[in-house]
Amino acid sequence: MTDNSPGFIRQLPSAVPGLALIVATLVVIRFWIEPWMAQTVLFGIKGWFVQVLHLNYILLGIICGLLYRNVLFGGKIPDVLTNGFRLSRLMIKTGIIMLGSLYTIQAIVKLGSMAIFLIGGFVIMTVVMVLWLGQLFKLDRSMTGVMANALSICGVSAAVATAPAVEAKASHVAYAIATILGFGVLTLFISPFIGHALGFNDLQYGAWIGTGILNSGQVLAAALAFNPNVAPGTAVSVAEIWNIMRVISIPFAVFAVTVWYWAGKLEEADKSQHKGLGTLLVEKFPVFVLGFVAMVILTSLGVFGDVGLKDGPPASAVIKMLRVWMTWIFGFGLVGLGGYIDFKEIAQAGGAPLKLGLIVGATKYVLALLVVILFRDYLVAI
Amino acid sequence: MAQTDTTNASAAVDDKGKMTLFKDDRAEDIGAIILTVVLVAIILFLAR
Repeated sequence: MTDNSPGFIRQLPSAVPGLALIVATLVVIRFWIEPWMAQTVLFGIKGWFVQVLHLNYILLGIICGLLYRNVLFGGKIPDVLTNGFRLSRLMIKTGIIMLGSLYTIQAIVKLGSMAIFLIGGFVIMTVVMVLWLGQLFKLDRSMTGVMANALSICGVSAAVATAPAVEAKASHVAYAIATILGFGVLTLFISPFIGHALGFNDLQYGAWIGTGILNSGQVLAAALAFNPNVAPGTAVSVAEIWNIMRVISIPFAVFAVTVWYWAGKLEEADKSQHKGLGTLLVEKFPVFVLGFVAMVILTSLGVFGDVGLKDGPPASAVIKMLRVWMTWIFGFGLVGLGGYIDFKEIAQAGGAPLKLGLIVGATKYVLALLVVILFRDYLVAI
Repeated sequence: MAQTDTTNASAAVDDKGKMTLFKDDRAEDIGAIILTVVLVAIILFLAR
């Protein structure tokens, strides 16, 4: 496969208009709309938009992105702005790497060991459920394979990683992505409400959405929507560990689904797509996680000063600045993410894949909620 | 045919709704690491 598109550096100037719109949107939200919402009295409650609707810059940013695409621009981001919006995932990944400054190695080990059990269990359960439902709904095997990993791990990346291994067509991947994003948008907006209504603390909420929400970007958005603060022990710091544990399992899940797919093929077709686990680990491992680990190590070594843990010294100036910059970078990334939610595409992804996606997505979401409620007293704070 | 479909699957999706300026996820990951290094360097300079 030859990639003929110009390199990143050459495309960067063309990203300026879209990036300018994203930056301007977030500046207006944070400097004008948020302060206005905090002061506005509605139905006798000061700051009704914040206290009752739990609106913050994160949700507003995504809503603006959504509105740009589906309302202002009639379903398609204009070409002149497209490349700017294509930087959103870069920003989100950068923010996640910087998030490593929230943790020490001890905190990672504590949270990670909780996450591994929950995530491991849910990934396996989801893959098995999708493979079984795929057979029940008589879905194409390639479609089922892609959906299995998309629904069990992290949506878009997992779907794209699995596609070549199970001979998936572009339409299969597109359906999977549309289903994930569609369901994810719903969970993104309702999760903070449910979390607050159930009296979840940041740890419980982060563990729930880190397990139950399908797409990485939406986990991040839902965490920040619940608590927009970026600090150790906040929802985003918990949810991202869960997210990273899920993302790391991509090569293993691709391998497992590949084995399932080829085991069911009647003829000995082209085996060149059937790759070993070692090859998949090298090819599919999300390298940005190494950046996150490096930040954790640097933080643990005290390179950035004190992190401001509970009952400890206050956070250093470097750490405080890192956290402020992170909130902006996430904000930019999530405005861009909103611009990728296309209601028409989601509506067109109907039929059996959507039914399967909704059943599995809803099961995972509710089951993760029940597990967190049952084990809330055992979830250890960092 | 399946080979072509498979080979083109990711590329076709990438072209149709390409969500990155990079050629693939791996390149984007490296880009994110580089951007982080630059930002952290700036922060270390400004905050000290």
